[in-house]
Amino acid sequence: MINELLIIIFAPLVAGVIAWALDIKGLRELIGIVGAAVPLAYLAKLYPTVISETVDYSLTISGFTLQFQLNTMTWYFATVASLVGIAMAFGMASTSKSSYDWLFALMSFTGVVGVFLSQDFISFFLLWELMTFASFMMVLRRNRHESLKYFVLSVIGAYAMLIAIGILYAKTGALDFESIRQAMYIDASLGTMSTRETVLVFALFLTAFGVKAGAVPLHVWAPGAYSETDQSYTTFFSGALSKAGAYGFLLLYILMGYKLYATLGTFHGHLTFAYIIAWMGAITVVVASFLAVLQEDIRKLFAYSSVGQVGYILLAFGVGSTLGLAGGLFHVLSHAVFKGLFWLVTAAIILQTGKTQFKDMGGLARKMPFTFAMGLIAVLSLAGIPPLAGFASKWLIYEAAIQAHMPLVAGAIFLGSGLAFAYVVRFLYSVWFGQRPSDLEDVKEAPLPLLIAMAILAIPNLVFGVAPGLVTEYLNKILGGEVVGGDYYRLVTPTGTYNALLVTIALVIGIAIAGLVYLYGARVRKIPVTNTYQSGNPVTEEFNLSIRRNFYRPLAEALEFWLKYSWDRFYERLAGLTEDFADSLRQAFYNGNVQSYSWYLAIVLLILALWGVL
Amino acid sequence: MIDWKLVLEVIGILIYATFMGFIFMGIERKAMARIQRRVGPPIYQPIIDTLKLLGKKESVTHGFIYDFGPVFAMGASIAALLFLPIANFQLFSSNADLIVVAYMLEVPMLGIMLGAMSSGNPYSAVGVQRGLLTMVAMQLPYGLALIALIQHWGTFKLGEIVALQQTQGWSITVPALLLAFIVFDIVFQALLGLEPFDIITAPAEISMGPMVEYGGKHAALLFTQHAIQLFAETAFFAILFLGGASNLLELLIKQIAVLFIAIFVASIYPRFTIDQAAKFFWKWPTILGIIAVLLTV
Repeated sequence: MINELLIIIFAPLVAGVIAWALDIKGLRELIGIVGAAVPLAYLAKLYPTVISETVDYSLTISGFTLQFQLNTMTWYFATVASLVGIAMAFGMASTSKSSYDWLFALMSFTGVVGVFLSQDFISFFLLWELMTFASFMMVLRRNRHESLKYFVLSVIGAYAMLIAIGILYAKTGALDFESIRQAMYIDASLGTMSTRETVLVFALFLTAFGVKAGAVPLHVWAPGAYSETDQSYTTFFSGALSKAGAYGFLLLYILMGYKLYATLGTFHGHLTFAYIIAWMGAITVVVASFLAVLQEDIRKLFAYSSVGQVGYILLAFGVGSTLGLAGGLFHVLSHAVFKGLFWLVTAAIILQTGKTQFKDMGGLARKMPFTFAMGLIAVLSLAGIPPLAGFASKWLIYEAAIQAHMPLVAGAIFLGSGLAFAYVVRFLYSVWFGQRPSDLEDVKEAPLPLLIAMAILAIPNLVFGVAPGLVTEYLNKILGGEVVGGDYYRLVTPTGTYNALLVTIALVIGIAIAGLVYLYGARVRKIPVTNTYQSGNPVTEEFNLSIRRNFYRPLAEALEFWLKYSWDRFYERLAGLTEDFADSLRQAFYNGNVQSYSWYLAIVLLILALWGVL
Repeated sequence: MIDWKLVLEVIGILIYATFMGFIFMGIERKAMARIQRRVGPPIYQPIIDTLKLLGKKESVTHGFIYDFGPVFAMGASIAALLFLPIANFQLFSSNADLIVVAYMLEVPMLGIMLGAMSSGNPYSAVGVQRGLLTMVAMQLPYGLALIALIQHWGTFKLGEIVALQQTQGWSITVPALLLAFIVFDIVFQALLGLEPFDIITAPAEISMGPMVEYGGKHAALLFTQHAIQLFAETAFFAILFLGGASNLLELLIKQIAVLFIAIFVASIYPRFTIDQAAKFFWKWPTILGIIAVLLTV
């Protein structure tokens, strides 16, 4: 009997390999979906066990002991990833036409779930690399430049992590999380690990996890990588894979939280190390949201938006209170479901129209009504409209940040949510409303598997929005105490309340009253889009009345000064310089001149002589 | 099971708020007229306007979302109102706190924009763009003012904020919160859509922006929505900074006081362009807001 944890982790990979090897149309989709469904089924089955005890499994390979554990927190992350994973599989059944995609998409599924369940750095790092590699391969197929950018940054992150693990291993002699945690806890009072080493390890881990989470200034890979791949896969890429970074920050708390507190102390009443994470998050939220508003490509817009939303998670974790952790963990779920949904909607649009630029689209709401409804749910959830999941999690983050007396960080959330409003409306306007370009006349509704995938992610948006207590009750179990009170429908923090059900009811009552006024009025007559006010002039189909380009031009003008600076260009320049340097090195040393090679030999001999070897 | 007293209160407040909201709109027009030495329309003019619009024989529509937008906007305004403690009527206010209400007061905007966008009119689109940019611009100082207030009183609950002000004096008597008040008042001008921030509708520039296509009963819905929104926002202001109220008359006086400040400012300032507004909001109100929040930490 194979252990359940192994099945959870490796079922997708096995299914991916089978689907790739068989490569029979129809069958590979079926195998892929089944493989993606297995983890969720097992996680659901293990739920009653997990809430009372942990499920452990360890396995010895080449002298290393790999440990996996399912506890309340890892179960939560793994379930979120599996939920997005199954939606991805359904989506890919429509959008992906090759077995290559199935292999690597499911491989990264394994990587992500494995990272969440790992309890030691060996398996953590191995699966982390598997996840990076698989996602890199997904991007590589479409765009080499973007994939290499992603790969190089990921490698920098991964090896920063490897060095940090090395230092920790040298200091503690352990690789499993539990021993490291205890050793760090004891070390906080002993202080054998110097301040400099602690700061170094912290900085290395920040780099490692910051790259995956897409924190500014390590976010530059995200817009390219998120857009240059199968959009159904991006559901998982941005919905679950970016959470590995967020999970890493949480791991930092678990392993080294106390040690970091003892070493770095506090800053104006905040934990210094957490404060750094909070500001990283706040800057990410603001920068990425501003950039999202100014994008002209539907995929780029959501890529930046995804970076910004992960910033909220980092910010919430950085608040440092248990309420902040609860808010961040809730946002992990809600971001996964609404952003996953967004990418599926994008996948449907791109699949049916073949276009990605806002300037080519418009008036699709008539042609794809179900997709539009799903997109609207995602929009409302992301913008934080009360009875949806996105609001509940954002509300917790607001409460946490303001209660922890981080006013400027909380100000960043306010600004970020205003910007979120702006960019989702841009998406609504340019894609769904207005005049329809004549080449989109025969667009059809998205295929069934994609619609199923959307429904899988739309339902949690609604359910956890109206009943956020379902989530917070579980989060209380993770955090070990009554962090967020209330019942299924009501969230209660020490200083505030939010009754989602009542808000829903009030909204329904309000809409009902407004609807009655509407019905009382005279009958309506439907007129076409072109029958419209144009300063009293007649309009025909040839006029393009929808503003599709540079919608937020005034904002770009107001931000002119800031937009002159770009991390993207900075990295490109750095890469260019490195390349030139490597080139000049090659030309200087391997110059083809025999005499210079003999000179090298002479110099080496001279050094050895001076050293006293000869 | 059903709390009949609450139901009656809700119905009563809704009718009262709608009526008073229309009267506020009337006061606005009347006061503007008097400032320009005109007689102006009677104070109940907006009610007549709305009834006239409702009585139109036919309305046009551009599709489902076009109809749903105004309905959703008015629904959200009503919902926001229900979570405010209106004088001695608490309604549902113990079930949602400041953050929720502040958000709910912004939701109607989304409804209006949704409807406006679906009309496909370029003027609407420009209006939507300006509206969202105004919102983005004002959000930072607005948020800072609210944060200062919450940090000072140590609670998010509107009922408690009112109760604390009753015992410890109004918010504006606290120096740090006076700054927050100034910031909030500047933002308030944009919230109500009055000059110098009436960039969204901008009648002379972009022929009413988002509302350009709306006529008949849709316009009547938007008028009613505006009335309720006006009432809710002035009440929100009074609750946050002017110590709330123990009865409707007291609340009314405070609401009208707030309204008059807005009218006086609006009638002497010309409109900002959108990029000027963004730059303005990110300069002085933000600086004042940051000072206010740092003083209350």
